Amino acid sequence: MKIVREALAGTQESSDLMVKIAPADGELEIVIHSEVIKQFGDQIRQVVNETLHALAVRQGLIIVEDKGALDCVIRARLQSAVLRAAEEQPIDWSKMS
Amino acid sequence: MDRHSAIDFRLTDVAKHPERLSQIRYLLADSGLGLDNDITLFVEAWSGTQLVGCAGLAANVIKCVAVDEQLRGANLSARLLAEVENAALVRGHFHLFLCTRPCNKERFARSGFWPIAQSGNNAVLLENTPQGIERYCRSLAAQRKCGEKIGAIVMNANPFTLGHRHLVEQAAQQCDWLHLFVVREDASFFSFRDRLDMVRAGVAHLSNVSVHEGSQYIISRATFPAYFLKESGKVQQAWSEIDVLIFRDFIAPALGITHRFIGSEPFCDITRQYNQTLHQLLAPQIEVVEMPRIKATGNAISASEVRRLLKTQQFSRIREIVPESTFAHLEAHYSARAEVA
Repeated sequence: MKIVREALAGTQESSDLMVKIAPADGELEIVIHSEVIKQFGDQIRQVVNETLHALAVRQGLIIVEDKGALDCVIRARLQSAVLRAAEEQPIDWSKMS
Repeated sequence: MDRHSAIDFRLTDVAKHPERLSQIRYLLADSGLGLDNDITLFVEAWSGTQLVGCAGLAANVIKCVAVDEQLRGANLSARLLAEVENAALVRGHFHLFLCTRPCNKERFARSGFWPIAQSGNNAVLLENTPQGIERYCRSLAAQRKCGEKIGAIVMNANPFTLGHRHLVEQAAQQCDWLHLFVVREDASFFSFRDRLDMVRAGVAHLSNVSVHEGSQYIISRATFPAYFLKESGKVQQAWSEIDVLIFRDFIAPALGITHRFIGSEPFCDITRQYNQTLHQLLAPQIEVVEMPRIKATGNAISASEVRRLLKTQQFSRIREIVPESTFAHLEAHYSARAEVA
């Protein structure tokens, strides 16, 4: 999916995360901030990468402000943000699992 | 009951509901803050019938963030910020700045705001992206020029006068290359586009000058953390310092700037103080060269004088103190009024 506009999803509540997405030319830049980065940094990064890969996001600036969210929440927030930031197109729900 | 879940958020459009400001004013005062009058939107946090938190938005600058003392530690400021970010995005602002006291820096840094520059214990400026200023510097670095002596001038040019042209010519003569920034903020009599056009036309005869569009990072609303310091002198000082530090630590290195040229300021206190701050903070990395203003018919030339003359349609006197290119612009856009009147 192509990121064409800026978008937000999520909150700063504990156990949630806020995702900010902005267009960026030719590069995919992912910034992850987490209160639990020491324990779960690798796991969070993997979930973020996999989710973006499944959505075919190849460029853009992705900022993740994690407040200790579960993997399923990270996926859901990322998906919402990407859909808001992408060009209108039919959603392939099977990829959203 | 969990006090955390009992909080409602509400948006207040300042222009539509000025009466709601009185409560906000009290809440801000409790935190030692004043209310800035350029705020157009407030996010309010309510616990039952009590206002317990607020955060203001002026274009893309967040300010006047306060939380009731009893609710501190409950992550309310982070929730307020998230609400502001959503409200700002709806209004077309994604890239946001936030001014606060340095003692709050950590708190906001945990909520997705990255510090850019800090003026002692008075003020710190943050932005809601980890590489906003870096990205800007990368784009500047692409326009770097070779040379030993690289100069910079920042001007509002409201409008571009013979005084401005003299300053640019003198600076260009002394430098291998000169970078000229036109203040971007559309808060002046002449629009940014018009000012930029007048500057471009006015320096077209110089072969070693780049004219840059200003940015959020040079003399803008964002670099003006006025609201939280009551004494205006202190406010100006904090504003000057943040702006100068951003120039010294980010913009100048990106372009390899070695000299900053300024005109002496006989009229405006704010500019004079700003000049002083430049002298204090840029040395020794960057040399500040202050040039006396040139005079025409006895008085130092100033843009405000041009605006005054324009109001009374005194074009023959304007002609004496602006370049031909500026005069052409003024005549084309403002002389019609005389014929109508």
